[in-house]
Amino acid sequence: MMRKILAVAFKELYVTFRDRNLVLLMFATPLVLSTIIGMAFGGSGDSEVPDFADIAVAVVNLDEGADLQEMINLPDQLPNPDTFPIDAAALFPPLPDGVALNFGDQLAAILLSQPVEGAGTGAIGGFDPTEIGCSLLDESESGGAAAAPLGSLDDLLDATAMDSADQARAAVDSGEFAAAVIIPPGFSSQVAPQFAFDDDFIIRAQAPGEGGIVEVYASSGRPISARIVHSIVVGMVNQFVRVGVAFGATLETSANALAGGIARGEIELGAVDLSALSADLQELDATALEPLGCLITPGANNISAAQRPLEAIQEGHPFARVIVPAGAAQAVFFALFTGVFGIQSIYQERRNWTLQRMIVSPTPRIFLLAGKLLGNLVIVFLQILILLAALTLVASLVIGQPTLVWGGNIAAVLVVTLALSLCATGLGVFLVGLAKTPEQVNLFGPMVNISLAVLGGTFGFALPEQAARFSLIYWGVDAFTQLANAQTDFTLNLIVLFGQGVLLFLVGAWLFKRRLDL
Amino acid sequence: MQTMVETRNLRKTYSRPDGSTIEAVKGVNLEIQQGEIFSLLGPNGAGKTTTISMISGLVEPTEGDATIGGFSITKQSMEAKRLMGFVPQEIALYPELSARQNLAFFGRMYGMGGKALRRRVDELLEFVDLADRQNDRIDTFSGGMKRRVNIAAGLLNSPPLVYMDEPTVGIDPQNRRRVLDTVKLLRDEHNMTVLYTTHLMEEAQELSDRVAIMDHGEIIAMGTQDELTQQVGEEDRLEFTIGAQEIAEAVFERIQGETPGVTRILFNPPEQLDEDSSVFAPALLTVFAKRGRTALPQILQELDSAGVEIQSVAVREPDLEAVFLALTGRALRD
Repeated sequence: MMRKILAVAFKELYVTFRDRNLVLLMFATPLVLSTIIGMAFGGSGDSEVPDFADIAVAVVNLDEGADLQEMINLPDQLPNPDTFPIDAAALFPPLPDGVALNFGDQLAAILLSQPVEGAGTGAIGGFDPTEIGCSLLDESESGGAAAAPLGSLDDLLDATAMDSADQARAAVDSGEFAAAVIIPPGFSSQVAPQFAFDDDFIIRAQAPGEGGIVEVYASSGRPISARIVHSIVVGMVNQFVRVGVAFGATLETSANALAGGIARGEIELGAVDLSALSADLQELDATALEPLGCLITPGANNISAAQRPLEAIQEGHPFARVIVPAGAAQAVFFALFTGVFGIQSIYQERRNWTLQRMIVSPTPRIFLLAGKLLGNLVIVFLQILILLAALTLVASLVIGQPTLVWGGNIAAVLVVTLALSLCATGLGVFLVGLAKTPEQVNLFGPMVNISLAVLGGTFGFALPEQAARFSLIYWGVDAFTQLANAQTDFTLNLIVLFGQGVLLFLVGAWLFKRRLDL
Repeated sequence: MQTMVETRNLRKTYSRPDGSTIEAVKGVNLEIQQGEIFSLLGPNGAGKTTTISMISGLVEPTEGDATIGGFSITKQSMEAKRLMGFVPQEIALYPELSARQNLAFFGRMYGMGGKALRRRVDELLEFVDLADRQNDRIDTFSGGMKRRVNIAAGLLNSPPLVYMDEPTVGIDPQNRRRVLDTVKLLRDEHNMTVLYTTHLMEEAQELSDRVAIMDHGEIIAMGTQDELTQQVGEEDRLEFTIGAQEIAEAVFERIQGETPGVTRILFNPPEQLDEDSSVFAPALLTVFAKRGRTALPQILQELDSAGVEIQSVAVREPDLEAVFLALTGRALRD
């Protein structure tokens, strides 16, 4: 049974792809049209990434700061017990109120373009980042003579402080912000190194614990802006890590010197003034934070920015941004014609008596129908897929580098293509089944296809979304555009396309069965 | 001999757009024996193709049934279809495919595959003498070559019964001869039963063991050629082709009354070939006479004296054409 169905389907496929004129119409025309539209509205590839300004960012700081005491774990047994008090906690008395380190505050202040105060909130040291030029280049480029500053961080970001992480994420989802930067509790503790004394009473840096990861919650609708925010935050976090390392080294040296002095009896414990250490610390981080104006410093770090899957987001070259919706629309539009006229070939087969020859063979008519429909479905599927591949090639050539314009999720691209193919074939079966003569198909087929194309925005002008939703082209293009932006929220698109396709296919097949009656 | 095809009261009615009906086949009863060539002879529109379409399972009968090798075409169609091959009047092949690809595809429709199919395709390409062109596309073939592949496609499943619906339409005399020889070969060497439809009396006469003459959806005569010609007696037919002119009724009466042996006269007036054409088929005067050659001089004299311009004269001995003419009053070409 299956062999006969496959034989008919394969014959359909073979006969279609042997027809040079048809192949030209199926592939060359949409490809050329899409390329022209892409070139006309998206540029030829010389243009740079477009300028961005005032990227809306929500900033949530949940960091409570780090207490100096928590950073140094005292040993249980202190040397020279006759000299020192037994109570180890008394060795380092708590810092005065307001002297806690809070790197989260500083990170938030920079993003919000507020003056950065010293590590201690009560300190007077600090700097104003709005006075520092910010070059959006990496370190290697920023040193070059050709490097030119593109503006300050204040020009680039339009940051708003928010209290709740969930609130910020919701605001991003609603499109209010391009991204939300969420500084977690424990961020300062993570940045500032932890220490412990070893058996010889030498202070040693400890491996950082888990957590404290800054989250960049990105808007899938604004991938470029989100990516910029992501890069800025990564650069900043790296800078904080450097501050932490510098601070740790100072602290380690100071603490070891202090401990050594105590151990040798050179320092009177009661005379130790930890506030001097805090003052050093303030000076240190204010200086260290100064280069934050030049933010982009990619590289490995032990604190990373967590985010939605931004890695898959395309850089969004103008040509790619245009060719994705235009190319997808053209591919689906021409696939609709293949769907209708592929099925209509039943009339040609009837006229040539090849249909009759098949019917006279011991093959049930339902097999012939199934083979015919399967063949057409595969043809439409291949047509869309080949067009997508060809458009990828064209885009890569225009942009000048290999570019997966439809995104990296190949499986999802295949699923969307299958859904569209089912829809296009289903529509073809339905129209041919409904029409009484081939002339009616010739009239109504293009009429319906062009109407769907107009509704779906194939010809460059967009109708209101409420109207566009009536077109399968809209759902297909929307799904492909989401895929191109590395989004995966196209379940509704798939439901609509598969649902519509299956319904049209079944009703159409029932109507179409009459065409096999001679 | 075993009965290969049997039809009982086979009837087909079509509905017209205006709601009226047309009866294309009016209760056909046939019995075809295994190993014989059986011809359905009749003018265009007589119902031959509709009859063969019902017997082959292409068209569902409005009434009646046909059995193939004992299997009902309406109730056991798959079993019946396995016993038959089909050679339609049209070149039922895919022009984009090669001869081999066409045969392989239709072979798969008969459930064939693998080596058996390849071997059968090879045999048939040899049989129709096209092995050297097997990989060429059909649309590069001449009309005669296409016909041969068309026949080969009807023989893929080595059927005991093959339908051939006017397989010589539109081909040159040389290829026509080839097709007719092939049909005889199928019967003589492969013991196949052939159901052959044609509107050409010469083909039916040359090929057929038995003939059924159809007109207006009915079988008006059936039997061997001898049996059929006996129905019209021993009369010769004198056929006079004349120009586009009318002949007075008195001339016919004079010929029939005064010429010895003349039994009756038929006159087919000049016929316009199509509505938009000014070209006419010549008028045909047919005179039935017991001793045609003896009567001929006197008839010629009568026509000459009546001013009839004679273009050609033929004396025909009793044949299927005469049978048809005798039964319907019309020539087969009508």
